[in-house]
Order: sequence, then structure tokens, then C-alpha cells
Amino acid sequence: MFGTILFICSAIFTICGAVMVAVSKNVIHASIYLLISLIGVAGLYLTLGADFVAVTQLVVYVGGVVILMLFAIMLTGGADLKVVSRYGFTKDPGMGSLKTYVIGGLTSLFMAIVTGKLIYNAVINTTTENQLNMENSVEQTVSKIGTLLVTKHVLAFEISSILLLGALVGAAIIARPVKLGDE
Amino acid sequence: MDYTITSIAPIILLPFFAFVIGAFVVSKSQKLAVGISTAAIIGSFLFSLRVFFDFVFGKYATNYYIHKYFTWFDISSETQEFVVNMGIYFDNMSAVMMLMVTGVGSLIHVFSIFYMKEDKRVGHFFVYMSLFISAMIGLVLSDNLFSLFVFWEIMGFCSYSLIGFYVKAEGAGVASLKAFMTTRMGDVFFLLGILSIWTTIGSVTYVDIYKAIHLGEFNGITALGMPLVTFAGLAIFMGTVGKSAQFPLQVWLPDAMWGPTPCSALIHAATMVSAGVYLSLRIYPLLDAGGLTTIVAYVGAITAFGAATMALVQTDIKAVMAYSTISQLGYMVLGIGVGAWNAAFMHLIAHAIFKAALFLSCGSIIHELHDHHTHSHVQEMTRMGGLRKKMPITFMVMLFCTFAISGVPFFSGFVSKDRILGDALLRATESGTFIPVAILGFSAAFLTAFYMFRMMFLTFFGEPKDKDLYHHTHQEHLSITRNVPLIILATFTLGIFFSGSLTGQGFVKVFPKDHGYEWFQTLIEKPDGKNYLEHKKQLFAFEDVKPELELRHGHYDPNHGMDEHQAHHSHAVHGWGAIMSIIIAFSGIFLSYSVYYKKRFSPDFFVNRVPGYYKALRNKYYFDYFYIDILIQKVLFGLNNLIAFFDMGIYDRYVVDGWEKVNKVCFKIAKRFDDSVIDLGVDFTGFTVKGGSSLLKVVQSGKVQLYFIIAIVVVAGYIATLLYGGI
Amino acid sequence: MFEIGLFSYLVIGLILFATGILVMIARKNIIAILLGIELILNAAALNFVAYSKYSVGNLDGHVFSLFIIVVAAAEAAVGLAIVIRFFQIKETAHIDDAVLLKN
Repeated sequence: MFGTILFICSAIFTICGAVMVAVSKNVIHASIYLLISLIGVAGLYLTLGADFVAVTQLVVYVGGVVILMLFAIMLTGGADLKVVSRYGFTKDPGMGSLKTYVIGGLTSLFMAIVTGKLIYNAVINTTTENQLNMENSVEQTVSKIGTLLVTKHVLAFEISSILLLGALVGAAIIARPVKLGDE
Repeated sequence: MDYTITSIAPIILLPFFAFVIGAFVVSKSQKLAVGISTAAIIGSFLFSLRVFFDFVFGKYATNYYIHKYFTWFDISSETQEFVVNMGIYFDNMSAVMMLMVTGVGSLIHVFSIFYMKEDKRVGHFFVYMSLFISAMIGLVLSDNLFSLFVFWEIMGFCSYSLIGFYVKAEGAGVASLKAFMTTRMGDVFFLLGILSIWTTIGSVTYVDIYKAIHLGEFNGITALGMPLVTFAGLAIFMGTVGKSAQFPLQVWLPDAMWGPTPCSALIHAATMVSAGVYLSLRIYPLLDAGGLTTIVAYVGAITAFGAATMALVQTDIKAVMAYSTISQLGYMVLGIGVGAWNAAFMHLIAHAIFKAALFLSCGSIIHELHDHHTHSHVQEMTRMGGLRKKMPITFMVMLFCTFAISGVPFFSGFVSKDRILGDALLRATESGTFIPVAILGFSAAFLTAFYMFRMMFLTFFGEPKDKDLYHHTHQEHLSITRNVPLIILATFTLGIFFSGSLTGQGFVKVFPKDHGYEWFQTLIEKPDGKNYLEHKKQLFAFEDVKPELELRHGHYDPNHGMDEHQAHHSHAVHGWGAIMSIIIAFSGIFLSYSVYYKKRFSPDFFVNRVPGYYKALRNKYYFDYFYIDILIQKVLFGLNNLIAFFDMGIYDRYVVDGWEKVNKVCFKIAKRFDDSVIDLGVDFTGFTVKGGSSLLKVVQSGKVQLYFIIAIVVVAGYIATLLYGGI
Repeated sequence: MFEIGLFSYLVIGLILFATGILVMIARKNIIAILLGIELILNAAALNFVAYSKYSVGNLDGHVFSLFIIVVAAAEAAVGLAIVIRFFQIKETAHIDDAVLLKN
């Protein structure tokens, strides 16, 4: 019962957050809605019994990435910047126009229909044996994931550490302050 | 806890961490790096002392060894196995070697604090030394040739950086490059040897090699018809030749003296160069099975004699040391060749101690002799003389070491060198092939005594040749960093530490029971494949399991496993050898005394007799000339020119130019055709492309989102085709 | 009540994915586009975990979603660094100003 309630709440959070990301005018608001959506995804992870992934989601995304986004928005002026279009309207730069929304909506709808058919086929073909086994098992996954990370997936683990290092150094180099006469 | 982790691992890890930490702190604080490095090596020394006592005095039996391994990397596929292991192989020999490396290393560190204190880059020097020491320890600990090779190359790098340490000196850079490239020659062969062993028996662990040789599994034939075991042994021995500066790759070691004197002591005299000999000792079964002992003996004998002759004419005090190092390394290799395995190892240890002391004494002298006109340190013996009164402690230390290297009884050099020469003599009585080896060995012993005492008389006796320099030299006072390492090292040049009898050869016995306690002979044995047949590898982190073979404590066998008659013969030969070498050593000393101290006749007497030979000696037998001027400049450049001539003169003139003519004709034909037929097509194509591009240009808007839409639509369309297209 | 199963998670993932595409196409602020990318990545990670529970039965899916989170973090860091650099040069964060590749 609790699981069902958690699932419904998380699903609502996720979907509403995602939609609000798409439609909110202010970029800061959009990123706050993204935060809500990500928290919702973390809740969904919990209903799936993935406690470690959920915590990581919270820590990395909610605590790290979105904060980074907010910083970047503030550094780039974000919502304050208004531009005047050719026809004299004041455009919110964070938002697109109606045209872009229509095009985007059509494209994503097309993709959604195709993918929906795909997952429908997939779900029909999926066997339900494991589903029964895993139904009500509540267990801690942390130690198992830890073991998996340093045994089976150790190469990916090492590569991702190198990736993170590279991203760190790269980001620091790209965003370094511009010296006078450098450009 | 596992013995390897609690006791053996810290020996290598302490200097290594000192290197890592030192590399970071050295730019901030030079002194901190010096402190860390010195503390680490002394700690490492204490650990190896403990391991030494465990192994050599009691706890473990003579033929006990530890062999632990872990998988370094495993990239085997389903069809082919490819696993490289790294591990520790530790026995009595490793324990002695380890004690020597860390002991000599820590004393040299202490001395370097004195010697390098005025240098601005002293921290860097110590960081390199730490890396070097950890690599050397790693080499001694290695259980296989591959990881040994890794550490071997790290040491090569350290040697390179330390020779070129005085970055402002022009010769230092050239010398470091020369050392690096020359040893690389040997290393290429070494790697080839490792690979050939790998392909044959699928492992490069010592134990597996010994086992394979014992079981006769090592029986491939190389392409040229040479047995594989011979090829592998020869190739690996080339590594020794490069690293231990044997003939014909000895040219780098004298130039290595450009480095700071303590590093010369550590690397180019005591430890690194002996790594080559250590390797040869470890793979002795391979050399033996390959029938290479004669070659090895000859290489050693030629090196020992040739280097000794070159040392006769040197005027630079460090150059004398360098050539004597080559000569002594030649003795070790000679010992391996004539089967005096044990004595060669003993000579390695003895040489490391007295040569380190000699080099440090040189450092002590050079550091004090400061030329106030050129602001440089003086290394020329022609400007020294009479220093005995100014530096009594250094003089005493150097005298002890000179006695040791000359083979005077009661000193370590006599004990070890005499065994090597005795065995050479024994082999010479058995087969004529070894007669030249024995002759060269004894002649080199004579020359050694002569040139070492020449050095002593020129430096410490007589009148000062450069009065100004002499008066500026300070009187030596006992200081911890300068003299204590020297005195400790000099103490260990006494023969008593190496043999139960004072003189060696059982002449004056200290422990009369059981023919003296010859601990070197009883504790360290030639590797024998049959000891390893029941060998089981152990992974790390398992408890020590004693090998299932019978462990026995060492006892001295006066007959060395031979029957009564042979043993009697052998002892007789060894006795004559000992008497001969004492006579030879003292006659060398006497000659030196009469020439350079009493000045009965001048050295020019010899020079005038054989001027051509003197010139050859001054020019190091023209080896540098041959390698650089002929081999590199003439042959390689000549080859270069030949290829260039072929390229320019023949290929360019006939092939390229001829092709041009053919092309020109074709071109004319083609042009006709082109103008009339093709152009029509081209114009049409151009028109089409132009039209198409103006259409496609719309897509290339530069807007990322448009590209994204296209990508999404294409992917979705593709999936849709798959789903609904019925494919 | 409906039964919560694989399908419901996949549908949520699908909605997240579609919304992400919408955000990426519709919005003009570069940072907002990055938000859309985060949504898409989350949809993928959610699918992995859902399949891990309902279909495969081991924890590989979890590990994959962890790697997705790692990659997303790295991507966000580099992407935002590029945005800031872009802002320093052009003084705007509008996607239509990044048209150097035009024609």
C-alpha cells in the first residue's frame, strides 16, 4: 500500500515536474521544476527497490547537477535578459516561440508513439517469472552493487573515473577566466 | 599477518612512498624532501636487517624461500591464456642483497647530506635516489624476469637523471644520453631473451625456468639453428653486459662519473651495476644449460684485464674508480663463468661495500679541494698529494678499502677475489680453454694492486703538487655525515665478516670447528631445479606455508660435494692460487711503491717503452672512437648517404622522371578527350550539385536544434520502419 | 486500482523522454536545453532500473544507471563550462546565436 502511494506521488512529481520544465517561462523556475522531477525519479527508484541508486540520484543530481545549473544560470544572466524581437515583442530568451513548441511537440509525439509501440511489444514479450520472484523482496543493494562495481564492471568503473577526471580538468580549462589580450 | 606483508613489503614501500611524497614536496621545501628520503631509507634498512637476521641466522633453513605472487594483469581470451604475474621471491641471497642495498644506500644518503648541502637542487637528488633505491629493491624482490625488467628500466632512468644532474655542465647531458643509449643496447637483447623464454615455457618466473631446465622442457631451436636455451641465456646475458658495463658495452660507465659523487657511489659502483651481475647469478642455470659459461668467463676476464689496464693511465681520481669498478665487475662475471657462483656473489657484496667507501672517500676529497680561481672542485690527481695530514680519517678509510680491493689478506677483497681466481685456476688445470682466463685474471689482480696504490701515493703521499690548493684545504674533523658512513663501510671491508677464517681459504681459522663457519658458502647455494619440483605458488594474503621439501640448516661441507680425490686436488689448487694472489698483490704494491713513492724510476720509463700502447690506453682502446666516429658517424651515416644516393640518384632520376614523361604523353591524350566529352558531363554535374546544394543549404542552418530534430525524426522513422514495415 | 508493473515505469520513462525532447527543441536557452538532456538521461536510467527489477533479476541495471548518473554529471560540468565560455564571448546564452556552422 505504501509502495503504491509512493509510486503515485513520485509519478505525479516526475511528470508534472518534467512538463513544467518545458513550459515555465523563467529558466530558474525551470531548473527548480527539474529538481522536483528528479526527486520524483528518485522516489520511483525507491519503489523499484533500488535504494542505492535513489540515494545517488538525490546526492548527485539534486545536490550537484541542479545546483551547478543554477550557478550557470546566474553566471549567464538567466532570466533577466530580455530581447526585443523584430516585430517589437519582448521575448523571454528562456522560452521559445509558439512555432518551436509546435515543432517540438510534434517531434516528441512522433518519437513517443514509435517508442511506445516499441515498449508495448517489449512488455508483452517479457516473461514474468522474475517478476514473481522479485515481487516483495526488500533488501539492501549497496553491498551487492559495490561488489559488482569492483568485480564485473571494474573496467567501466575505472573508465568512468578517468572520464570524471577529464571532465573536471576540461571544464576548468574551458571556463577559465579570459585574460586580457587573450582573445 | 603474512611475513611478506609485515616484514618484506615495507622495505620497498618506504623508499617508494618517500619518492612519491618527495616528488610533491620537493618544489616547496628541499630540506623536507631530504629528510623524508633519508628517514625512509634508514627505516627500510632496519626492516631488511630484521629480515636478514630471520633468514640468515636461524628462523629459516638454508633452502627455504618465500614465493608469493599476485596477478598483475590478465588479458587472456577464451582461446589464449595471457596472464602476467608479479610477485616476491625471497631467499637467503635476496636477504643478503637487500641488506647490502639498503645498508650502503642509507650510508650514502647520510653522506650525501654532507656532500650536496650547498647544491640548490639537493631535494631533487634525494628524490631520484629514493626512486632508485626502491627500484633496486624491487629488482631484488622480483620473482620473474618481466617485473625485474620493469625495475631494471626504472633504474636506467634514475641513472640517466642522476648522471645529468648537474644540468649546467655540458658534458653531463651527453654522458647521461650515452649511458642511457648504451645500456639500451643490452636491454633490447634482454627483452628478446625474456620473450623467447615466455614463448617457450609460458612463464618467466625464476622457479618455472629452473624447473623447465631441470626437466629438459627448454629444448626449442631458434631460426638460426641455435638451441633456444643458448639464445635466451645469451640474450639475457647481454642485459648484464649492458648494465654491468662489461666488454664491449663498457664505454658508458667512465662517462657516468659526471654525476654527483654520492650517486656515482650508489649507482655506478655499488648497487645498480651489480644488478646485472645479480641477474646473471639468478639465471645461472640458464647460462649453464646453454653452455655459455666459457663465453661468460672470457667476457669477464677481458673486461677485468682491459679495464685494469685503462685505469693505469687515468689522472682523474673518479676515472680510476670507474675503471676499477668495471674491472671488479669483470671479476664477478668471470667468477660466474668459471662456476664460482658463491664467490662471485660474495665479491658482489664485498665490492659494493669497499667501492662505496672508496667513492665516498673520493667525494670527501673532491668536496674539500676547491679551486678558488675557477670556483670548481678538483678531481685531478696531478694536483693532489700530501693530503694524508689534512684528511687522516679519509686516508685511513681509503687505505682499508685499497687493501681490500688489492686483495691483501685479512680484507674482504682477498677472500672473495681469491676464491674466484682459485676456481679459475682449477678450471684451467682441468681444461686448456680456461688457461687464458686464469692468466688474465691474475694479471688484472696485479694491475689492480698497482693502480690502486698509484692512486693512494699520488693522492695522499709525497709533496703537495699544487701548493695553493693544498693551503686552502681545511683540516678534516670528525663529522657525523661526512666520516661516520665512511668508517662504518671501512669496518665491513674486513675479511672476518665474509669468512670464518681471517684470511679466507681456511689459513687462519677463527672457528676451528667444522672447518670454520663459512656462512657465505653454507647459506647461499646455486639454484638447482630439483629443489623446485614440488613448488607450489602462493597467492598473497595467505599464511606462510613452508614448502613441502625437506628443509635443512646449512652446514659446511669441506669437500663441496666432490669426492675425496677431487676435493684434495681442488684444495691444493686453491691453496696455490691463494699464495699466488698474495705474491701478486704484494708485488703490485711494491712496484707502485717504488715508482710513485720512492721514485726509483719514473712512470715515463714504461710510457716510453710502449708509446703506442700508452696512447691506446689514454684513448680507452679507441672504443669511443670506434662507436661514435666509425660505427655511428661513418657506418650509419654512410648507410644513410647510400640510401639517400639511391633515392636521389637512381630512384628520382629514372623512375620518377621517367614516370613524368609517361604522364606527359598520357596527359596530352587525355586533354583532348577531356575537353570534348568529359566537360559536358562535368558541367551537368556542377549544375546539379549547385541546385542540390541550394536546396540542402536550408538544412545547414547552423542551428543545433534543427539538427536535433532531424536526428530524432530519422531515428524515429527508422524504428517505425522496423516496427511497421514488417521487416 | 491498477497494478504497478514494468509497463507503468516504462510509460513514465517514455513521458520523461518525450518531455525532454520537447524541452530540447522548444526552448532557446542553452541551459534549458541541458535541462532537457538531463530529463532524457533520467528516462533511460529509470528504464534500466525497471528492467533490472522486472525482467533480468540481477543488479546490473542498477550499476548501469549509476554510470548514467556519472556520465550525466560529467556532461553537465563540461556543458555548463562551455555555456559559460560561450557567454563570455558572445554575452548571450541564446542557442540561435551559436550559428558559426551555418551553411
